[in-house]
Amino acid sequence: MILLRQAAAVAGKDLRVEVRGRYALGAVLPFAATLLVVFGLSLGPGRTLLRQTAPGLLWLAVLFAGVLASRRAYETEAEDGAMEGLLLAPVDKAAVFLGKAAGVAVQLVVLEAVVVAMVSALFDLPVTGSVGTLAGAFLLGTVGLAAVGALFGALDVSARAREAVFPLLVLPLATPVLVAGVKATALAIDGRGASSWLGLLVAFDLVVLAAGTLVYEHLLED
Amino acid sequence: MRPAERAMGKLTARRGERILAWLTLLALAASTVMSLAVAPPDAEQGNVQRLMYVHVPSAWLAYLAFAVVFVASIAYLKSGKSRWDRLGAASAEIGVLFTALAIVLGSLWGKPVWGTWWTWDPRLTTTAILLLIYLGYLAVRRLSDNPRRRGRWAAVVGIVGFADVPIVQLSVTWWRSLHQGPTIRVLGQSTIAPIMLATLLVAVAAFTVLYLYLMAVRLRVGRLEERAMAEALSPRLGQPVEALMGDGEGALSQREPEPEVTPRA
Amino acid sequence: MFPRTTDAATLPAAVEPARAGTPAIALSRVTRVFGVIPAVVRVDFTVEPGETVLIRGPNGAGKSTLLRIVATALSPTYGEGHVQGFDLLRGREGIRRRTELLGHRTRLYEDLTASENLRFACAMHDISAAGVPEALEHVGLADVTGERVRGFSQGMRQRLAVARALLRRPPLLLLDEPYAGLDGEAKDIVDGAILEARTAGRTVVLATHDLSRGGLASRTVFMDGGRIVPDPLREGRP
Repeated sequence: MILLRQAAAVAGKDLRVEVRGRYALGAVLPFAATLLVVFGLSLGPGRTLLRQTAPGLLWLAVLFAGVLASRRAYETEAEDGAMEGLLLAPVDKAAVFLGKAAGVAVQLVVLEAVVVAMVSALFDLPVTGSVGTLAGAFLLGTVGLAAVGALFGALDVSARAREAVFPLLVLPLATPVLVAGVKATALAIDGRGASSWLGLLVAFDLVVLAAGTLVYEHLLED
Repeated sequence: MRPAERAMGKLTARRGERILAWLTLLALAASTVMSLAVAPPDAEQGNVQRLMYVHVPSAWLAYLAFAVVFVASIAYLKSGKSRWDRLGAASAEIGVLFTALAIVLGSLWGKPVWGTWWTWDPRLTTTAILLLIYLGYLAVRRLSDNPRRRGRWAAVVGIVGFADVPIVQLSVTWWRSLHQGPTIRVLGQSTIAPIMLATLLVAVAAFTVLYLYLMAVRLRVGRLEERAMAEALSPRLGQPVEALMGDGEGALSQREPEPEVTPRA
Repeated sequence: MFPRTTDAATLPAAVEPARAGTPAIALSRVTRVFGVIPAVVRVDFTVEPGETVLIRGPNGAGKSTLLRIVATALSPTYGEGHVQGFDLLRGREGIRRRTELLGHRTRLYEDLTASENLRFACAMHDISAAGVPEALEHVGLADVTGERVRGFSQGMRQRLAVARALLRRPPLLLLDEPYAGLDGEAKDIVDGAILEARTAGRTVVLATHDLSRGGLASRTVFMDGGRIVPDPLREGRP
């Protein structure tokens, strides 16, 4: 189906650019790591408290990383006015949206793997327990977060004050990701299931992807 | 869309505005009398519970105004007519005030009842997030001075934001239910006395009329802004002001693409 | 380094032609303002299929804005029009399928190679990428096919943009100050693309204030202050 093919082309292009530019690896990951260390410093060193707050801090780091990665996904479009190229191509703009979201999601998942390992060490958290639930929470949460980021990141790449507005838009709208992600992670670490929270994430993902697909073109047109 | 547009036109005409102003005054007066004098104090909470008669209507309007933003946003993206953008912007500006009011009143009510200003009550928390989404909508309107871009971007925020609110509400409610704590119980007793219900309904109606009045005023200001813009453009384009009002000849209609015809070989 | 016109026929056919019998461009009272500043004012502009039109005018005359409106990168604030038979507001996808805009912003991805940039453009325009190596050869970039664009000069970038236009072979080719910052050889390559389009019967509109170029045009239009004005040199003469 041409929509998926073009979305894959956009995602592939973004990931290729990322691999060569190494922004996510070079800047976002260190930032997330710094956040976690700083969180640990501000709350620790008592092990009990750290263990209790670990899921929350983990997801906070993911959320901030998501904001950075989404913004970066559009900076590459700004360099030579490439965004206009996407606008002027007869490609279905929904494909651009889905491709961008997919690109950001992949970067985030890779980052999360590293961050989970870090949290496990820093906060003395045995990340055993219900691995399926844990993976589900991260995958579903990431898709939703990437979708919100890919949607609003499209707000004109040269608009002034975009810096402050973008997080203001993404973070409140991504609240369900934060809440469900943290709860599901905490449950998973305890070895329990979290099907209702995962269901909530699925609902969120569907709503954002559907809405984004429908309205994305309006963000690009002038 | 026609009947809706006509109704809007009537509502915002000068006479409509004056009638609304008087109605608002009357309704608010009636509501005040009923809330303070007619309705009895609550069995458990005492007179503090009277805050319900301003808190609940404010919250109701916070969400109603956002629903209007949602509908206006969809209408704007479909039709491209600037009046829908003006409607959405007006409702957002007024809605954000009611939202902030609802949160402050909820806090004020909570302090004597629970002993703290904030207990992460699910409904109040969702309202707080709604406030943030409103602020995002208004912030986006400042990003561009091109009216069409601004309108479209805001419309996207309005649509996605509104679709998100029920999910936020659900997530916060579940989140909260794991740690039972004080919730806003609208009333102390389990069933509401008829006189209190009546008072509440009058209050809700009064606030709704207030909202309509504020909307009428704000929409008139919006039209004045448009006129000012047309007057600034008129000499530069060599066109009469009237021709530049409304949507001119450049009205957008994104939803009816022409079908592509491939020429037969 | 000129793309030989006979070779143009071997490039893969890209886009189906426009509806027959309609002007390539027909704008009526098109106006575009930015804030309160008008850039294009009540422009009536018609171009027949196959014409090569040159737009001249000082900086700020509105040439760029006009071309971008035709390309649907901008929408008119007032006015209406048809491009390739498709409505300016409602038929944008149809216009985009049949139009290529070559500007001084090259719309490339810095960290992709020349070849990858073209391949991506093919994917976005839904055309086959089979012609990419040949297009690169036409514009003299065959030896930097695998190099990242980040290291390219302006001339090389513009050649890559020309290659993109050659791949697409759009019925309408719009060029907005394409010669800016280019050396003579690169400028010739741009002219080669114009020649190739003209020979193939496609429509070309070129806006430039580079007086040494534009000789390929069949007609010249002058713009000043956002309007189309009569030829300033011929005023008063029969």
